[in-house]
Amino acid sequence: MDAALLTDLLAAAVRIATPLLLAALGGILSERSGTFAVAIEGMMLAGAFGAAVAAMAAGAPAGPLAGPLAGPLAGLLASAAAGMLVASLVAVATTRFSTDQMVTGLAVNILVAGLTSYLLRALAGGRTPVVRFPVLAPWPVPFLHDIPVLGPVLFGQPPLTYLAVVLAVALGLVLARSRAGLLVRAAGENPQAVFATGTDPVRVRVWSILACGALAGLGGAALSLQQVGSFTDGMTHGRGFIALAALIVGRWAPVPVALACLVFGLVSALALRAQGWGLPVSSYVMQMMPYALALVALAGIGRAARLPAAIGTPFRRE
Amino acid sequence: MSGRLRGEAAGALLAGLGAVFLALAVGAGLILATGRDPAAAYLALFGGALGSPDRIAFAFNKATPYVLTAVGVALCFRAKVINIGGEGQIALGGLAAAWVALSVPLPAGALVPACLAAGAAAGALWAGLAALIRLWRGVHEVLCTLLLNFIALLLVAEALKGDLGETGAGFPQSPLLPAGAWLPRLTGTMHLGIGLAAVAAVLGSVYLWRTTFGFRLRLVGASRAAAVYAGVSPARTLVSVMLIAGGLAGLAGGIEVLGVHRRLIEGFSNGLGFTAIGIALLAGASPLAALPAGLLFGLLEAGALAMQRQVGVPSSLVPIIQGLTMVFVLCALGLRARRGGA
Repeated sequence: MDAALLTDLLAAAVRIATPLLLAALGGILSERSGTFAVAIEGMMLAGAFGAAVAAMAAGAPAGPLAGPLAGPLAGLLASAAAGMLVASLVAVATTRFSTDQMVTGLAVNILVAGLTSYLLRALAGGRTPVVRFPVLAPWPVPFLHDIPVLGPVLFGQPPLTYLAVVLAVALGLVLARSRAGLLVRAAGENPQAVFATGTDPVRVRVWSILACGALAGLGGAALSLQQVGSFTDGMTHGRGFIALAALIVGRWAPVPVALACLVFGLVSALALRAQGWGLPVSSYVMQMMPYALALVALAGIGRAARLPAAIGTPFRRE
Repeated sequence: MSGRLRGEAAGALLAGLGAVFLALAVGAGLILATGRDPAAAYLALFGGALGSPDRIAFAFNKATPYVLTAVGVALCFRAKVINIGGEGQIALGGLAAAWVALSVPLPAGALVPACLAAGAAAGALWAGLAALIRLWRGVHEVLCTLLLNFIALLLVAEALKGDLGETGAGFPQSPLLPAGAWLPRLTGTMHLGIGLAAVAAVLGSVYLWRTTFGFRLRLVGASRAAAVYAGVSPARTLVSVMLIAGGLAGLAGGIEVLGVHRRLIEGFSNGLGFTAIGIALLAGASPLAALPAGLLFGLLEAGALAMQRQVGVPSSLVPIIQGLTMVFVLCALGLRARRGGA
C-alpha cells in the first residue's frame, strides 16, 4: 500500500470516528453517573437535525446572521441544544418517574426518529426531503500539517475533530482529578455516599445526562455538518449504538474509548474503500464489519467490563 | 386469577389507554403547531384505517407482525429480558421463508407450512445466538440483539444481491414467489396471518399463566435468587424464552413475505421489531393484551397514509405517537413500582 492510499484511509478513519467519539464521551458521563446511555442514538439524530436546520437557516445569503461562520456556528449551538432537549426528556423520565433506563432510551430513539422526520417534512416539504448545506472545511494546522502521512491524518482535519480530541483529554482529567468528576463517578457507584456528603445525586445525574445530550448532539453535528453535508431521515443509522459499544470496549475511560472509536472508524473507512480497491468481498459484507467487530469486541471483553455499580437503579433516600 | 391480579390487569389497561390518549393529545399539539387541523387529521387517520372492509383488512395485515413479535417480546419482559432483536429476527425469518419458497421443490400443500417453519427456525436461531452471547460472555442482551439486527439486515441485502435477487429488477428484491407459497387470504386482501397472530397471543398467555415453563419464566423475572433457590435455571429460561420470541418474530417475517409482498424485498422489516417493543409495553407485557395493542398500532399505521394524503400531515406522526406512548407507559410503570416497592 502506498503512502497516499494509507494517508487517505487513516484520515477517513479519524473523520468517521469523530461523531462516534463525541457521542461516546457523552455516554461516558451519563453511564459513569448511573444512567444507561441508550438514548445517545436519538440525541445524535436530534443534533444532526438541529445542526442541519440552523446551518441552513443562518447560512442563507439573506439570513439574519449572514457571514461565512454564521451557519456553522448556529449549527453547532443548535445541535447541542437539540441533544439537550432530548436528554431532558430522558432525565425527567428516569429520575422523576424512575423508568427503566434501557427501554426509555429505546422509546426516546423511536420518538426522535419520528419527530425529526415530521419536522423535516414540515420545514422542507415533499415526500422524501433532503436538506443540503456546505460541509465544514478542514482547518490544517500550520507546519504540523506538512509532516508526511501523520500530518494530513492528524492535523488536516475539520474543526469538530480537534474539538473531540480536546474534549476527550479534558473529560479524562475532569473525571479523574476534579471534585465534579468524583461526584459523577460516585453518583454511579454509590449514590448514598454522595447524598451523605450533602450533594443530591439525582442532580448530579440530571446534569450528566444533559451534558451527554449536548455532546451527543455535537456528535450529530459532526455527522451532518462536517461529514455528510445533508440531513436525511434516520441518518445516524445505529452510530449511537456503535458509540455505546466503543464505550464498553474502552471501559468508560475517555482515552481508551477514543481508541475504540478510531478502530471502528478504520473498519468503516476500509468498508467504504473495499469496492474501489477491487477487494473480492461484497460491499454488504464489508458494511457488516463495524457491527460484527463491535459484537466480537464486546464478547471478547465479556465479564471483564465492570459496569458502574449503581447504574440502572434509581436513587432513593433511605 | 385473584382479585389483586385482576386489579393489576385493570390498572395496566387504564395506564395504557391513558398513555395513548396523552400521546394523541401531544400529537394534536404538534399538528396544530405546524399549521394543520388536528381534528381533521385524526378523522382522516381513523377513517383511513376503518373506513371500509378493505381498509380494515389492510390494518389487520399491518398488525399481524406486530402482534406476533410483541407476544415474544412480552414473554421476554416477564423474564426481565429486553429482546430488541425483533427487527433482525423478522428479516431473517423472511429471508429463510423466501429461500425455501424459491429453492425447495415441495407440493403446493406443504410449501406454505415449510416456508413458515423455516422462517420461525431462522428467527429462533438468531435470537438464540444473542442469548448464547449473553450467557457465555455476559454482553447485555440489548447490545447483542441490536448489533445482530444490523448484521441480519445486511445479510438480507447480500442475499438479494446474490442468488436470491431478481435479475433486471430496479430494486433489490427476489422474483415473485410461486403461487403455491402464497399465504391463503381470508378476504380480498386480508391474509391468514392475523388468525395465526391471535392464536399466538392466546397460546402465549396460556404458556405464561398455565404451564410450568411459564411459571419458571415469571419466577426468574420476579427474583433470580428465588429461582435459583427453587432449582430453576435462569440460563435455560433465558435461552428458551429467546428461542420462542425469535421463532415468533421469524414467523412474522415469513408471513410478511408470503402474505403481503409475495416476494422478499430489501427493508421489508424496517421498524417492525422496534414498534413491537412499544406494543409489548403498552400491553403491560401480557401476551393476550398484545393482540388489541398490536391492532391499535396497526390501525394507526394503516390510517397514517390516508391522513398524509388527505390533510397533508406527514405519516411520521405515527412513530411520534408510538414513542410518546412508550414513554408515558414507562412513567406510569415507574411510578407504580416506586409506590409499591419502597
